[in-house]
Amino acid sequence: MRNTVAFLLAGGMGSRLNILGWMRAKPAVPFGGCYRLIDFTLSNAMYSGIQQIGILTQYRPYSLMGHIGSGEAWDLVGRNRCAKILPPSTGMDDYDWYRGTADAVAQNFGFAERYGAKCVLVLSGDHIYRMNYAPMVEFHKEKKAKITIAMMFVPWEETQHFGIGITDNEQRIVDWEEKPEKAKSNLASMGVYVFDFDFLKEMLVRRSGNDFGKNIIPDAIKGRAVFAYPFMDYWADVGTLKAYWQANMDILHRDSGLLLGHWSVRTNYDEDSLPGDRPPARIGLSGRVVNSVISAGCVIEGYVSHSILSPGVRVEKGAEVIDSVIMHDSVIQSRAKLVQVIADKNVRVGADAQILGGYADIPNEKYPEHLYSGLTVLGKKCIIPRKIKIAPNTIIEPLANEDSFAQILLKVGSYVKC
Amino acid sequence: MKTTLALILAGGRVDELSVLTLYRPKSALPFGGLYRVIDIPLSNLMHSGIDRVGILSQYRSDSLINHIGSGAGWDMIGSQRGITMLPPMKGTRSSDWYRGTADAVYQNMEFVLRNKPDYVMVLSGDHIYKMDYQELIQFHERMEADVTAAFVQVSEDGIERFGQALIGDETKEGGHLLSYVEKPRQIISSWASMTIYLFNLDALVYIMDEMMQPPATEHFGRDILPVLLDKKRVFAYKFYGAWAYTRTIDEYYQANMDLLEEKTKLNIEDWMIRTNLDNEHIRDRAPAIFGPNAVCHKALIHHGCEIYGTVKNSILFPGVRIEEGAVVENSILMYNNHVYEGAHVNRVIADVEVIIGANSRVGNNESEGSNKEYPDILKSGITVIGRNTHLPPQMQVGGNCIIYPNKKESDFTKTQVVNGRTIK
Repeated sequence: MRNTVAFLLAGGMGSRLNILGWMRAKPAVPFGGCYRLIDFTLSNAMYSGIQQIGILTQYRPYSLMGHIGSGEAWDLVGRNRCAKILPPSTGMDDYDWYRGTADAVAQNFGFAERYGAKCVLVLSGDHIYRMNYAPMVEFHKEKKAKITIAMMFVPWEETQHFGIGITDNEQRIVDWEEKPEKAKSNLASMGVYVFDFDFLKEMLVRRSGNDFGKNIIPDAIKGRAVFAYPFMDYWADVGTLKAYWQANMDILHRDSGLLLGHWSVRTNYDEDSLPGDRPPARIGLSGRVVNSVISAGCVIEGYVSHSILSPGVRVEKGAEVIDSVIMHDSVIQSRAKLVQVIADKNVRVGADAQILGGYADIPNEKYPEHLYSGLTVLGKKCIIPRKIKIAPNTIIEPLANEDSFAQILLKVGSYVKC
Repeated sequence: MKTTLALILAGGRVDELSVLTLYRPKSALPFGGLYRVIDIPLSNLMHSGIDRVGILSQYRSDSLINHIGSGAGWDMIGSQRGITMLPPMKGTRSSDWYRGTADAVYQNMEFVLRNKPDYVMVLSGDHIYKMDYQELIQFHERMEADVTAAFVQVSEDGIERFGQALIGDETKEGGHLLSYVEKPRQIISSWASMTIYLFNLDALVYIMDEMMQPPATEHFGRDILPVLLDKKRVFAYKFYGAWAYTRTIDEYYQANMDLLEEKTKLNIEDWMIRTNLDNEHIRDRAPAIFGPNAVCHKALIHHGCEIYGTVKNSILFPGVRIEEGAVVENSILMYNNHVYEGAHVNRVIADVEVIIGANSRVGNNESEGSNKEYPDILKSGITVIGRNTHLPPQMQVGGNCIIYPNKKESDFTKTQVVNGRTIK
């Protein structure tokens, strides 16, 4: 993979992830116990032999910057190896904020030039998949393509969320629809592109707009030099709360294809700057764990079933955690019961609280489009009072505490402000 | 602030640990479901703000060198801090293998002097304890001592293996070292040496220049301390915290299993031990996965474990896989063990990369007597399996058994290993 430089688009705010994305960029959202979303793409790049990655950030980059650190966690450190954060900057042309994906790459094109790239790989930082990019770059060279796009078949009802390509029998893309209401094909872009360096340089100068999907790709297809690289394995866009929860649950089903135990995804364990490493998880005498993912530093004295627990989570005696995703250092106190809950970091659920999700026909009162599938989402560092009962589709803002709760019964679709 | 250089004596192996130290010094022994024993002194040093460290190694250093890596695991990396491996070398004053603690330091005095520390702290790499060495240093300074040694109170059982001291009762923290005897035949005190010595640099130089008579002088405890009492201000520091020793298989087993108790003095959640996450690919491993029929209680489990069977009262290091229908109890399974369907494992210490075949039974709870070949080493019923040994399916292995490393399935000609047998 010499002569291939990667740009990783990590600027998105992931607004549909609601409170999970308030304090961090979408690629920094925790996933699968000990990871952040961006770890999947970074690990792919590492195992593909990519040596230089520019990470384009914009929205709330601190979590992300702390997480990337020196790049050492992905072996991206050395004289010619790097993971470099590329924030927007004012320069000669007085650029402002990134105006789109293509604009972000255009503003940082010097990064690719400096390393003498012949191919430019453009990735996004918020998808769950395992892929070796090297065969894709080979495919790109064999086809003498100007652009190669990794594509996969998606269910027809989801085509409206994707860039959709129509190919000929040489896998050349002959037509393109960006997020069509009624698609002509279900072959969807995964947001993974290989560009010929000179071609990309020219396209960025002559571009009609600032977005790869909306502007650059459709323009290039007219020149008949864009190819589709087929991808058949597990891939998930976790852009919504429902999809985020589902992808976490996919880890627990071996036939889903999300084989976390075999993917060797790397993350940065140093960012928390803990004084000690997380000790092994302790399952107590009264603890019971089935069908779950348990990270280091967890202490389980209660019952955990069909759930994903990040490092340092404590489930006290008599507490039950079912069908839930619980992030770092959250504490579920005695006899509390959680079903279908996403709890952000450092949440405390008081003793005997009941947060019982499951389908309900009333969506969230404030964000009906974000939360309707029966989940309940607890914001970072919030404190749930003891003995409270919370119905599905509820959102508790980050930092909410006992005083934020007016009643002891929260009806379906509630929204609790901090 | 005065500077302290720490020297960790990590070279030794002991027969008492049998196959567990065939391929590594005892300081590199896996401990507590994640760590190596040497992580304990290294983490103590890090938390005490001592970040210039030499590790004196000689027996099978490669596993230790791998584990230490760059020293970044303990933040001991930078222009003023670091971990230096100090194997025996030619060209020093005596040019030979390290014959003891004092001799090892003697052979590395050039390294010591080059670092120009105010104090030199000598530690051994096989004690389990949490200690703030700054408190010892403050005691040393208050007493205007030249040399301070640390002691811990132990029960009579087994104290004959330690150096023992009579200590002046100046303060609760300790006092003058009144007398010191290395491993006395008759007990003289309940205070046992932790082999932690703090020297003023000039006192250490004095010892090396005036008292060392190689090759006869080997150990600080045996050869130096008893004589030094009359020449220098030597003090004893009393350590009251939790402490354990891992010099025999029983001690090693007990020190580990104690971590599973709810009210343990050595609580690893509060201990803040660091290790090297790059060693054994700990970084690359996904969190533990528990299957739909998993049963697990009273256990330590780390990343990379996959549990589909039953685990009770046991410690599983990263990457251990327990298949459906398998039962593991009262056992310590190190990195990457694989226990196949229907196997039953009880009171077993299995070194790294061990495979236990389907439907086999290994270890038991009721075995009496001792290992026939090594009755002194193994008599509590535990069975020990050396690294990378593959037990075939249907195998029956009793208690007090020792199975040597690297045995292939085809090396087992019989399907039964009775209580107390050793397979080499």
